Amino acid sequence: MPQQILDKTVFSLSEVGRSIQKTLRNRYSNSYWIRAELNKLNHYGQSGHCFPELVEKDNDTIRAQMRSVLWREDYAAINGKFLEVLKEPLKDGIKILLLGRISFDPVYGLSIRIVDIDPSFTLGDLEQEKQACIAALVREGLFEKNKALSVPLLPQRIAVISAETSKGYVDFTRIIDQNESHYRFFHMLFPALLQGDQAARSISAQLTCIKEIIQHFDLVAIIRGGGDDIGLSCYNNLYLSRAVADFPLPVFTGIGHATNETVTEMVAHTNAITPTKLAETLIAYFRDYDNKVWNLAEKINHASRQQLTLNRHLFISSVNQLRSGVNEQLAHERYGLQESSLRLKSGTKSLLSDNGRELKGLESSVGQLHPDNVLKRGYSITRHKGKALKSGQKLRKGDLLETTLFDSVVQSQTITTQKREKP
Amino acid sequence: MTDKPAYSEAFQELQEIVADIEDGQIDVDALSEKVKRAAELIRICKEKLRGTSEDVQQILKELEESGSGNEMHDR
Repeated sequence: MPQQILDKTVFSLSEVGRSIQKTLRNRYSNSYWIRAELNKLNHYGQSGHCFPELVEKDNDTIRAQMRSVLWREDYAAINGKFLEVLKEPLKDGIKILLLGRISFDPVYGLSIRIVDIDPSFTLGDLEQEKQACIAALVREGLFEKNKALSVPLLPQRIAVISAETSKGYVDFTRIIDQNESHYRFFHMLFPALLQGDQAARSISAQLTCIKEIIQHFDLVAIIRGGGDDIGLSCYNNLYLSRAVADFPLPVFTGIGHATNETVTEMVAHTNAITPTKLAETLIAYFRDYDNKVWNLAEKINHASRQQLTLNRHLFISSVNQLRSGVNEQLAHERYGLQESSLRLKSGTKSLLSDNGRELKGLESSVGQLHPDNVLKRGYSITRHKGKALKSGQKLRKGDLLETTLFDSVVQSQTITTQKREKP
Repeated sequence: MTDKPAYSEAFQELQEIVADIEDGQIDVDALSEKVKRAAELIRICKEKLRGTSEDVQQILKELEESGSGNEMHDR
């Protein structure tokens, strides 16, 4: 009860508190749907209660700010609905549509007791944010930028953004390190948080880090997996999506979830969906290259053999041509030779027989000419010093002469010589 | 990085040799040289499939020198 002190009615603080409490309870007897931003969830793990800080902002100006309470049982139920509908837990920085009662406690003051939160409102809001993120990247000309990069023939050196303990990372490295073709990859882990509020900043920081040593890598793989589909809205974060889209190496994603594709996956060069598929995609590049090299080797083998065979055929047919040409020529020459030899033989024969006849004639004429026959006919041979004389002009008086007749030899001595008058 | 162009170029040169041989533009004397060269190129291409010269320690060192090394462990 208020006290009368002098001329003043004085209330105690608790009386004021109780009065406000009573007034507000009467005035705000119902619960109301209220739109607000969940600035801080302030979940206390030990008690399980939350004391969310609600705000309403106009751009960056705070228009209203109020404390609220979310008791353990309500929190569990609401968080369960969020995980089911949004694949995201109740967390800082989301817009919510809450059902709340205005309550006033003389000790704790004014707060809103949250009874329920509609997840579909938040879902719509996140979807709007996602669409805004896509629109921004399209506007900035970055949306297709990473996709336009060409993957090297052999994407061999992989900068992996993941967590050592992630099942996805374990699967990925096992597959690329133990592939049955023994293709050799080089991969290096750049550890990062892969889900939740800190993931966007953590992954972006590692991308910046990889950029410093970019010459050692052919591509970046963002790998997550083995977990549930919770906490992936970080991949719709504009900052992270932009970093991926604008990255100078192809970025492959294997974030491993079944829900809608995130913006980071959309702008990545290749979204393999799961870490396992990502590993298989990389191996497929190797296999493709391997096959191409084999193909080329086969083609060289085939084409060069073909060319050799062709050349051998050409050679053989040239040799055959040469042989038949030579044979023909030889046959021709042989024929000519035979002809000639026949002609020579018959020519010689007739010549010989002609000559034989002639010779016989000659023989008899020669016979007629034999000195004896001549001597018989009264001719004689006169010799001086053993030589037959045809002229007597050089003879001197007293030179000895020897005259051969048919039946005798006469010695004589030169008396005179005088020139004979020819008839 | 230095061996990257080597296998790409080897692959390209290999393709050119195949095209030349298939065209029948190479005479028999040159053919043997080309096939020998192709074998060498195939070897380069194949080796690349099963070998890499990158070294994690070296990369970490470069990273530290670039000043971003701390981010590696900033989780």
